Amino acid sequence: MDFASWFSLRLSLQVASMATAFVLLFGVGLAYLFAMKDFRGKEVVDMLFTLPLVLPPTVTGYYLIVLFGRKGLIGRPLFEATGWSFMFTWQAAVLASFVVALPLMIKTVRAAIESVDKNLIRASYTLGHSRFTTAIQVIFPLAGKGIVAGTVLSFARAMGEFGATLMLAGNIPGKTDTMPLAIYSIAGSGEWSKANAMVILLTVISGLLLYIANRFGRRLI
Amino acid sequence: MLAFIFCLLLAAVAVEDAFAGTEIMISAALSLKAPFEDIGRIYEKKYPGSKAVFNFGPSGTLQKQIEGGAPVDVFASASPKELDDLASSKLIVSATRVDFAGNSIVLIAASKAAVRPAAFSDLAKKNINRIAIGNPASVPAGKYAEEALKNMGLWENLKVKLVYGEHVRQVMDYVARGEVDAGMVFLTDAIPRSGEVEVIAEAPASVYKPIVYTMAAITGTKNESAARNFIAVVISKEGKEALRKHGFVVNLHR
Amino acid sequence: MSLSVKIRKKMDSFVLDVSWQMNNELAVLFGHSGAGKSLTLQMIAGLVEPDEGKIRLGDVVFFESKAGTRLKPQDRHLGYVFQDLALFPHMTVYQNILYGGYGISKTEKESMAVEMMRRFRIAELRDRLPGRISGGQKQRVALARALMRKPRVLLLDEPFSALDASIRLGMGRLLKEVQHEFNIPVVLVTHDLHEARALADRMFVYSAGKIIQSGRPDDIIHLPESQELMDLVESSAYRTQEPAAIWADPLRWELNRTP
Repeated sequence: MDFASWFSLRLSLQVASMATAFVLLFGVGLAYLFAMKDFRGKEVVDMLFTLPLVLPPTVTGYYLIVLFGRKGLIGRPLFEATGWSFMFTWQAAVLASFVVALPLMIKTVRAAIESVDKNLIRASYTLGHSRFTTAIQVIFPLAGKGIVAGTVLSFARAMGEFGATLMLAGNIPGKTDTMPLAIYSIAGSGEWSKANAMVILLTVISGLLLYIANRFGRRLI
Repeated sequence: MLAFIFCLLLAAVAVEDAFAGTEIMISAALSLKAPFEDIGRIYEKKYPGSKAVFNFGPSGTLQKQIEGGAPVDVFASASPKELDDLASSKLIVSATRVDFAGNSIVLIAASKAAVRPAAFSDLAKKNINRIAIGNPASVPAGKYAEEALKNMGLWENLKVKLVYGEHVRQVMDYVARGEVDAGMVFLTDAIPRSGEVEVIAEAPASVYKPIVYTMAAITGTKNESAARNFIAVVISKEGKEALRKHGFVVNLHR
Repeated sequence: MSLSVKIRKKMDSFVLDVSWQMNNELAVLFGHSGAGKSLTLQMIAGLVEPDEGKIRLGDVVFFESKAGTRLKPQDRHLGYVFQDLALFPHMTVYQNILYGGYGISKTEKESMAVEMMRRFRIAELRDRLPGRISGGQKQRVALARALMRKPRVLLLDEPFSALDASIRLGMGRLLKEVQHEFNIPVVLVTHDLHEARALADRMFVYSAGKIIQSGRPDDIIHLPESQELMDLVESSAYRTQEPAAIWADPLRWELNRTP
């Protein structure tokens, strides 16, 4: 396998890890919010966050361009202020993976939090502990299996992300071509044996990482 | 947490490498990958200090990216439609627009096959039982194949022998493995697998709508002169040779 | 210190409307399930909010609808023993008890926890998870945890219902000791009349969200003021059934000795 393929593999691992880290950070917090608080418009917000699960990734990618492209709602002020834009950067690949993996984490962790015995939470409050301490010391440890499952799912999804990444980050060899994009390119130009080699490599590496994550996660709980 | 920080560091160090010269971004249809990578090297040799960076994808996606403000200098599409759309939004420099290549529909068979047609007319013979083409509903090469067969007056007789592939790769596989006796694809699809399949014949250009690859510079690019240089290389003698090598048709009059 | 509770809340099947007061003693909220006893406890604790009313402990107002005062459960400095005990399944006995020491310095908390475990005779269970100890032991852990902060009032929701008869005696005795020692109001919810009679200094009888009689347990049992209460007493089979040695009179006097 040549240098370009190793680059793509490394890029995929970096992008997926980074996206998963952000998904953990925001996903667990959002899941807590949805599970514990009631507010107006909650179901609408929940639906918005679930959308990337339902839409074809290319459509999600299109909406990401509308939001974060140079002429986008968030992209334009960003570009005008800093001269920097998301499009065609590896950061865009992280953003795309983050957006499509987030709903997986939110759904999984929310269900786990909702299944924590409410009396345990009430007991913690009566013992004087704040909502924050209760979340850290009681709720999250007991929802741990869900958090691990969500992390594994998110990482897997990020490793395989194609449509939204292609849209927002582009397929630029040596810069933004993650494994799925690289395989697409190579397959597109008919080099099937090379594509097969990359597919096998991606499968083996991903499978290994998922296996390790599952074992490690089980030991945590 | 540690893993998070580690990856942040790795990622920050990893990807970008500062480039001092002129760098142009060319969005090109995926089918142009092989010739354009060759042309990129020709361009960089001709203009030392410059760099050609490519973004390959489906033409529709590339169009959407440009409409979204992507930093693209040149756009090369597999059909004029995307450029027409961009032109109406005034996103391309019309003066630089040029049709630079075409494609042809060819008849292929496995290199080692015992039974092979020698021409399109042979397909009607009894010893040819199965012919693979792309699904006309979803695969561009299939649509063109159907059009060509219809215009050659062979469609009615051959309909029953047709096997549809869901994408070109499938068609090529069927032919290479001998599961079908012959197939129809673009010449550019057949070239990379020229060890396993052989091109028997080319359908006459008159029996199908021409396949036209078009390119233009994008408005607002900071590197318009570099973009024009690249386009010039594509339509130069060396550029045409690179395209022809990979199966594209380059004797266009424009 | 006196605990005064005056609350009103509209529920699905009844309207809770009660008003009572107690001092440093053990009061029992007695009645059938669904009468509003547990709900009252939850409101005292701040886990459920009344529609209107006032809850006051000493001169601290926990809740007052007119003034808009509502203290968070965290700030009410109380001890609560839930019906299912609510021990944290992922923490050991020792960790559970430590968790009750909110606001206490680490070293002091640790020595207090050790002392608690010794006193409640659960020291040898220190590193066990709640899943691996008996019902009676869980009770004592829950009680120890709730008492770490030296709460100003102790609330217990049917704490003995899941225990063997033989264990209940010891727990009842323990509870009375705790009440005397800490000298705080203790509110106990139960539907077991024998238990109520044995432990209560004062009793409030709940029925469909209202209090139908209150006073000393013996007075209530022997002089029920309503048909309903009479039926209640009858259905507890108080008269017809031998109350079993657990709550036998001599023992009861011992448990109810005044300081």
